[in-house]
Amino acid sequence: MTFVALILKNIVRQRTRTFLTVLGISLGITTVVALGVVTESLKASSGEILKLGGADFMVAQEGAADLSFSIVPQDDIAAIQATEGVANTEGILFHIARVGSNPFFFLGGREHAGILANPPPIREGGIWDKGATDQVMLGVNAVKNLDAGVGDTVTIEDRQLKVVGIYQTGMLYEDAGAYAPLPTVQEIAGKTGVVTAVFVHLEPGADPETVGKAIEDRVPGVASIINVGDYGKVDQGIQMLDAANLAISVLAVGIGAIGVMNTMIMSVFERTREIGILRAVGWSGRRILRMIISESLVLCVIAAGVGSALGVLATRAILLIDTVKNLLEPQYTLDIFVRALVVAVAVALAGAAYPAFRAVRLTPMEALRYE
Amino acid sequence: MSEQAPQTGRAAAIRIRGLVKTFDEGLIRALNGVDMEVLQGEFAAIVGPSGCGKSTLLHLIAALDRPDEGTIEVLGHELRTERNLDHYRARDVGLVFQLDNLIMTLSAAENVQVPMFESHRGAGERRARAEELLEMVGLTGRDKNRPAQLSGGERQRVAIARALANDPPILLADEPTGRLDSVSGKRVLELIEELRVKRGLTVVLVTHESNVAERADRVIRMLDGRVVEGGTGAGAEAEAAAGQEKP
Repeated sequence: MTFVALILKNIVRQRTRTFLTVLGISLGITTVVALGVVTESLKASSGEILKLGGADFMVAQEGAADLSFSIVPQDDIAAIQATEGVANTEGILFHIARVGSNPFFFLGGREHAGILANPPPIREGGIWDKGATDQVMLGVNAVKNLDAGVGDTVTIEDRQLKVVGIYQTGMLYEDAGAYAPLPTVQEIAGKTGVVTAVFVHLEPGADPETVGKAIEDRVPGVASIINVGDYGKVDQGIQMLDAANLAISVLAVGIGAIGVMNTMIMSVFERTREIGILRAVGWSGRRILRMIISESLVLCVIAAGVGSALGVLATRAILLIDTVKNLLEPQYTLDIFVRALVVAVAVALAGAAYPAFRAVRLTPMEALRYE
Repeated sequence: MSEQAPQTGRAAAIRIRGLVKTFDEGLIRALNGVDMEVLQGEFAAIVGPSGCGKSTLLHLIAALDRPDEGTIEVLGHELRTERNLDHYRARDVGLVFQLDNLIMTLSAAENVQVPMFESHRGAGERRARAEELLEMVGLTGRDKNRPAQLSGGERQRVAIARALANDPPILLADEPTGRLDSVSGKRVLELIEELRVKRGLTVVLVTHESNVAERADRVIRMLDGRVVEGGTGAGAEAEAAAGQEKP
């Protein structure tokens, strides 16, 4: 018999309690994993936005609660364009509208010159005519959702637009949305003279960090988003999600630890006499400590596995909802599962600390006298 | 009062001086100045009425508890100053309780292996050693049985095998036959005697049964937390007769 076999026997002999404890911790882990997947997916989507139209980075309003609320006056685009190292720029207005069954339909407003220079990969048709105000390009998923094709007319917030092209970028929110002329989208959104963000293409060899800093110095009230880590400057939603994720992880540790502590205390109390026997035959306090903490760790690692699997299932289930399906591409990064494991181990150690301490403090005789 | 071992030329395996143990913050004085010696290879039986302190004395020798006063020297080591009592319990003494105190969820062989976790034996060696010990106590083929599947006598034999797992030179037995029928009890005693002879064990056995004590080389009699008689102990009986008052 190995030490591991002994630990497994101790866990298996209380099947119901083990099952309930694992279930309880698993639910906490499920929340951590599901929220982690959502956060990572949103971050990945944000990362995709940064490079829209093949840009090197993006400039948006500093401190915006959400990127879609960012406002950059069109007049600032010229100042950004004039910054050293910038090859060209394009201001794009994002508007989220309810279109068909999709309440988060992405509508991007682009200048004709911009879309002509950096068009999305076109599957059918082409871009709108120069100066046109009633034409639109649909993403492949929007075509399916709206049951429309090239030559058809679609209605976006009471505005009739003729479909002139169909594109596919591989980005969920883009493919489920549309691009239309900037003045048209500004009118639909009621945001005349402004864009959401300015996408910057650099001259060869220019350093994004240096140019981004120069733009921030030159144009007040804007922030350069070079990578996903900078996203919090213009979208506090991601930061809030990150904070919520951390808070839930801490809560999961707290609640899970109480559950594990309860299980381990019951287990140690019930086995006090047995612990006395182990001490009487020469087991050291350290070995008893290892036994109790190992049992707790095994419980929590099982819970981490079960919770991670449930978390993946939960996110899969969420993606069955149409609106979410068009918004998120699930990202199952290693980070998420490592975090789940860290939470589980923290729960195990916190939960086992007191019972282990109590078991080790007893003299063999005190433990043997215990009824 | 002092109980001296017979003068045989053998060294003392256990030497106890002025041992006092109290419970309930001193209200109960279980041991009241015990002096005693047991020689190496000797079979000593401690007898006395219930509550006289014989089990407490055995538990202190086994280092399951700490005395309030006095010294216990085992194989030259003073327990009060011994830094690693776990090691002492694992290697120097084997303990057999009145209740077998086996772990119910483990098989007979696994119970015997438990003390060996504190030895340097690997899993394979532990398994082989457990089989060897179970064979030695006459339980060949019962290694996979759990305690609930064994009789009282068989369980006690598993407990003896467990006590000898790490080859200790001293076997301490606390009423090992107390809960057994006469036939099973007799077998257990015969086994202890046989092992003692074969392995040169020092055996200290606590009992209140005179027929059990008769098998010992020496009977150490206790009363009210003191040793009052012990074979060669000069003056022991006289002191007991004088009826010293307990403090």
